Order: sequence, then structure tokens, then C-alpha cells
Amino acid sequence: MTLLRRLAQMNPALLALLLAVVLFFAGGLINPNFVNVNQAINIVRLAAFLGIIAAGQTLVIISGGEGIDLSVGGVVTLAAILVFRFSGGDTLGLIPAGALALAAGTLIGVINGLGVIAVGIPPLVMTLGMTGVIQGTILVVTQGQLIGSTPPIMAQLISQPLILGIPGVVILWLALGGLMWLLLERTTYGKQLFAVGVNRTTARLSGVRVPRVVITTYALSGFLSALAGVMLLGFTQTVFLNLGGAYLFPSIAAVVVGGTVLAGGKGSYWGTMSGALVLTLIDSLLRAAGIEQAYQSIILGGILLALLSIYGRQHRLRQ
Amino acid sequence: MSVSLSAKQVVKRYGGVVALADGNLEVEAGEVLALLGANGSGKSTLSKIITGVVAPNEGQLHLDGKLVSFSSPNDARKVGITAVYQELSLIPDMTVMENIWLTHEPRTLWRVNKAAMRRGTRDLLALFDGTISAGLTPDALVKDLPPDERQIVEICKALSHQPRLVILDEATASLDSQQVQRLYELVQDWKARGMAIVFVSHRMEEIRLFADRATVLRNGRSVGTRDLANTTDSELVEMMIEGAAQLGERTRAPLPDDAPVRLKVSALRGARLRNISFEAHDGELLGIGGLHGQGQSELLLALFGAIPFSGSVVLSGKSVHFRHPRQAMACDVAFVPGDRATEGLLLSRSILENLHLPSWAKFGTPLKMDRARADAQRSVEELQLVAESLDALASSLSGGNAQKVVIGKWLLRSPKLLLLNDPTKGVDVGAKGEFYQLLDKLRQSGAAIILYSSDDDELIGLCDRVLVFHDGRLTAELAGDQVTRANLVTASMGAHPAAQPQ
Repeated sequence: MTLLRRLAQMNPALLALLLAVVLFFAGGLINPNFVNVNQAINIVRLAAFLGIIAAGQTLVIISGGEGIDLSVGGVVTLAAILVFRFSGGDTLGLIPAGALALAAGTLIGVINGLGVIAVGIPPLVMTLGMTGVIQGTILVVTQGQLIGSTPPIMAQLISQPLILGIPGVVILWLALGGLMWLLLERTTYGKQLFAVGVNRTTARLSGVRVPRVVITTYALSGFLSALAGVMLLGFTQTVFLNLGGAYLFPSIAAVVVGGTVLAGGKGSYWGTMSGALVLTLIDSLLRAAGIEQAYQSIILGGILLALLSIYGRQHRLRQ
Repeated sequence: MSVSLSAKQVVKRYGGVVALADGNLEVEAGEVLALLGANGSGKSTLSKIITGVVAPNEGQLHLDGKLVSFSSPNDARKVGITAVYQELSLIPDMTVMENIWLTHEPRTLWRVNKAAMRRGTRDLLALFDGTISAGLTPDALVKDLPPDERQIVEICKALSHQPRLVILDEATASLDSQQVQRLYELVQDWKARGMAIVFVSHRMEEIRLFADRATVLRNGRSVGTRDLANTTDSELVEMMIEGAAQLGERTRAPLPDDAPVRLKVSALRGARLRNISFEAHDGELLGIGGLHGQGQSELLLALFGAIPFSGSVVLSGKSVHFRHPRQAMACDVAFVPGDRATEGLLLSRSILENLHLPSWAKFGTPLKMDRARADAQRSVEELQLVAESLDALASSLSGGNAQKVVIGKWLLRSPKLLLLNDPTKGVDVGAKGEFYQLLDKLRQSGAAIILYSSDDDELIGLCDRVLVFHDGRLTAELAGDQVTRANLVTASMGAHPAAQPQ
């Protein structure tokens, strides 16, 4: 009981990181081959995709006002398809196609932000509706046929070892972690984002342009999801219509497990990074245990629910 | 109906923090006992223990001579104890009558008896006839009511339980003087009927009006009970604040005749403002008075660019029309809102972040945190803020210290025009004194200050001039010797004090 209580009082982000380490070594009990350097790198590589998608989600959830971005899955898919379709499969083509994908993601985010703050549509409804729009857009772009190819340089940059055996996506993720810390803790935008998340009246009466902060936040979420989509293409090498969908629920779960409060105004990206590691590890453990696919989904869903309810309780304790 | 309640050596700890170390009080049928003490002295904790909201760690409660213990407010209500709190316990989206009868709705055999509920509500509201607006009906939504009428609903809610002992915890803070007078008459009636009343308030004047005896708390301990009839204010204050007997005579240099005009407002109109015109000078403390909700807050919000208005505003010689607080801030205007928790603070963020929220941009990108900390540290020392560290959460601060943070974030910007919306509401006497000194310092540095206060003594004691509002209009401008209680009251009722002989 005292141990539980002490754990509940710990920094939730640290708790998530601890949980990730424990899970990793617990993997060794199920399968002795689970604990080695290659496996560790592999897990971090898988977690990186989720972590990058969840970066935008972290910002949106911190912004409060029931903020949530359900369009991240759609943006991931759209971005991957745009690069696949328009890069022409070569390195030079990647630059305009990548820029197009990032611009599309950012534009979708801006529209989400406008809908939420200018029109007053609840974020849940706005971003869910946007997902439908994105799916339609994908059909328009592809005409129902997923033709195209992946520039070979992407595989080299992203999933294959880049420096000291560490894949590019992991290095990029760590760099993003540093940038996100700077953004949240060392910029005026970051400070204002937390303020907007805690209390919009106080923020406005202190000179914060609340609509601008909210729109920027959804735009960043769209941008980061598109970035994740481009990365993911480098990993999968191919696209399908539901490429990003599987990341939606885990992206929210990673944020919450990492200690960011769903009500807004409190959280960190390194917490989300730890959360992404935890979720990826649980997934990998279930695979390593050799459980059938269908049962894996059921167990994973159950674990996510249990984790979220535990974190919900902890939040109440803190209040 | 006779009742007596005594609390003996009650202790309440929250984790390592002792909220109440030794709480004692005795109250009997037919009397009003005031509970006095600075913020954080344990008044609220003691009254919450009596009403069963919090369970004490140690100590005893005796009701009518018998030992009792309550595990919920419902337990206390069953034996006739209810409370009226300043932080309202009403549900905004429900109607007045639904709120009042919540959990004890009158019923027919199988459903809620709405007709009886409405009748009962009318009877309760009738107690305040003449002091409430036509908008306060049984079917009005609580969220549409102004703060004073919400408070009255809260009082009616307590009465609906037909209590034997009522705790009025800062229940007069949002009421205007007529409503306070009516409450006083009601309390006399309750006393005559054998009820006991515990009265918690910061306003000495009201404590003297309402209460017969006073129990004083200091740092979580009851330090004594006095008959109010033969105890002076300074004796009570001395009991409340260790060694700080004198509140200090304010010495005030008169405003020079040639003080430059900082702000000139002409024909300002808004949703609740009708044709307001006045001037404020550098180094002047301009007061705004009147009953609650007569447009005073709206004027300050309009001047700060937070709500739309029409009319002309000339600031520092330039015509301006602010549409966002940000624009007002760029012209060195600052605004201290009335409600700390909902408008002034980020409760779940640190003191540092609260202090710098309006000013982060000046620390560059990436933010120079060393400089921000040094600035904040200096301001904390200047304000004599009592806090664990700059990283402590704003929610951990007591009322007076929290208000210092709200003011401090604007002092860091050295404002030329400071707008204050009832800043000392719910702040203890000691912190008020420090706050007045702060205002004086700002005045001397040449800032123009506009202060709305619901406390007439504050207006009389502090201000060079006072503008009195009634129903969105300026009904009087009092200066110098004209700033008297009689004039303020007359003007706040909408009459012209100038017509009255002094």
C-alpha cells in the first residue's frame, strides 16, 4: 500500500519510463531472446513512429478545452500516400512530395483549429469530421488505386542503421524530443499554451491571444502527424488506406500514460515518449508471448483501459 | 427549539500540514457568534468540521450536550446544522428551485411535486423582497443570476433545510448594503426563534452589526472569545495578528493641481454602461463605488479592451480603442481582475509562470530563464510574498499571497494606468495593509490608479476622488472631504449627494 501510494505521488512521466524498463526486462521472462540490444533498438524504432504522432497529440491535449485530435491517423495516411504517389520513387522527387505532404497536414491542422476556436465546434466532433474529409480526399487523390513507389533513400534514412547501428528515425525522434522540450519550456508559445490549457479567461486577461495559440497548436499537430506519415512510409515501403488508423488510440494513450492531463494545462513530451515506449513494449510482449492476433487486440485494449483508469484515479488523488 | 453546540480541541491535518491545531468554540440558541481570523487561521476548516464536510483527526463535537460525529454534510443536516458558503455550492445549469430543494425535493407519492417546490421557493425568496431583481424567480437558471442573487439562493437553500444552527461563511461578501441589512433583520428573527448562528466574515463593520460574541482564531488555534460590546476593533485585530496592533495612519500627500491627465473617457457606452465620462490623473487614486453589479467591473473590462464598448478614450494624450487586452498592455495599462481563481491565476501552474504570463515575450527565444527567475525573485521580495519557492503552485498560496501574485505580474511591467476590480475581497487584514502600502508606492511613482471596491471604508481611506455608479450611470463624483460614508451610500442609491446638506 505504501509502495503504491509512493508510486502514485511520483512524477507520472518518470513512472512511465520506469514501467517501460520493467516491461522490457519482464519480456526476458517470457522469451529469453527478448532482452538484447537489437531488440531494444527495434522497440525504440517502433515507438518512434507512435512517439512522433503523439507529439502533436500532446500539444493539442495540453491546450485544454476538451482538446483532442482524432484526425492524426488520417493525416498520417494522407501524407504517406502523397509521397508515395508524387515522389516518383526517387530522391529528388521526395523533396517536393514531402513538402506537399507536410503542407497538407499543416493546412488540415489550421482548419481544425479554426473550426474549434472560431466556429466553436467541439474538438472531438471537428477532428472526427475532418477524418472523414481526409478519407474522401485520399480517394480523390488516388482515384481508388494505390500506385506509386517509395524513394529508396527513405529506407536508408529511416529504418536502416544510420549512426552506430541506430536507425535514422530514432535519432530524429530524440532530436524532436529536444525540440519539443524547447518549445514547451523555453518559448513564449509554450508558456502561453499551458496558460490556455489551464484557464482561458486568465490567459486572455494576461494578454494571450487565445485563438492564435489554439490554431497554432492544431496546425503543429497536423504538421507532426504528416511528418510521422512520411517517416512511416520509409518503414513500410508501401501504403494502404488504413495505414495511420491503428495509431490513433495509442497516440492518445501514450500522452495520458506519460502524465499529460486530459483536462489540459499540464504535461510534458518526454512523458509522452515514455508512454510511447510503454505501449510499444506491451504490444511487442504480446507478440513475443505467441498469442493469437485476435486475442492480442483484446488484451491490448484491456491493458489500455486499465492503464487509463489507473491514471485517471491518480489525477483525482492529486487534486 | 433550543440548541447548543461546542467544539473542543478539534484538530485537522492534511498530510503534513496542520490546518487546525486547536479549534474551540461554543454557541447557544439565540446568539450570533462571530468566527474571526486572518486567512489560513483555520476558520473555514473549523466551520467545515461543524457541518460534516471534513472529518476531524482529533477533538470532540457536542450538540445539546451529547457527543456527536458527522461523516457527511447530510448527517449534520439531519440534526439541523447547515452552512452558507462564499464559494457557492450551486449547480449553474439548474434552476433556482431545483438548486434549493436538491436532495430533499417535496414529493407526491411517485414524483417530485413541482408546484410545492415552486411555492416553497417563492416563500423563501419573499424573505428578500425589495432587495432582489425581478429576474430572480424559482424557474430562473442559476448561471443567469448576478453574484449577489446567487448568494441569496445559497442562503435560501440553507434555510430550506429548516436548520437549528446556521453557519454564514463569508455569506455577505457579494451582497450589497441593502441585502446585508435584510439578512441582518432575518438573523434577528432567527435569534428570536432560538436558532444559533456562526458568522464568519472579514468585515469588522458587519461582525459588529451581526454578532454578539467573537471567537478569534490564529494559526489554527482558538486564542479567545470576547463579548463584542466591550471589546475594541484594535483589541480584536491584535488577537488576530500577533504583535501587529496598529493598522497604521496613512499619510497622503495631496494631489498637485497640475497633475497631468492620464486618461480621459467621454460618453463611454456598453452592454451595462450608459454614457460614462471622467478623467484620471497621474499619481491619482481614483475610486469607484456603488452597490454591486452597477457596471463598475464592466467599465474596467472595457478600458482594458476585454469587452466591446463605444465612446472615446484618450490615454496619455492619444485616442485609443482597445479590442484585446494585449493592445491595452502595449500602452502600459494593467488590470487586476476581481476573481483570483477564475480570472487572475493559473492555479495549477507555478508562481514563476503566473508572474511572467503577460511578459514572457521580453525574455527572447529561447527564454532566458535565469533572468526571468531573477526578476520574479525580486518581485517576490518586494511584495513580501510568503511561498515555498518560485516553483510552488499558485494553488498552494493563501488568499492574500495569491492576490499578491496577481498584482505582482502587472507591477513587473511598471504600468502607467492600473485598473483594480475589488482586489481586497476575501483578503485578510494584514495582507490588506501591505496591499495599501503597495498602492501608495505606485501612486507616488506617478501611475494613475482606478480602484473599484465594494468596501466603503477602503474608498474613504484610500482614494483622492470617488466615482459612484448606479445602474450603469455615474451618479456622483466625490472629492476630498465629500468622500464620506453618508455621501457614498446616498449616491449608491442613485440619489444626488450634492443636493444634500453636509
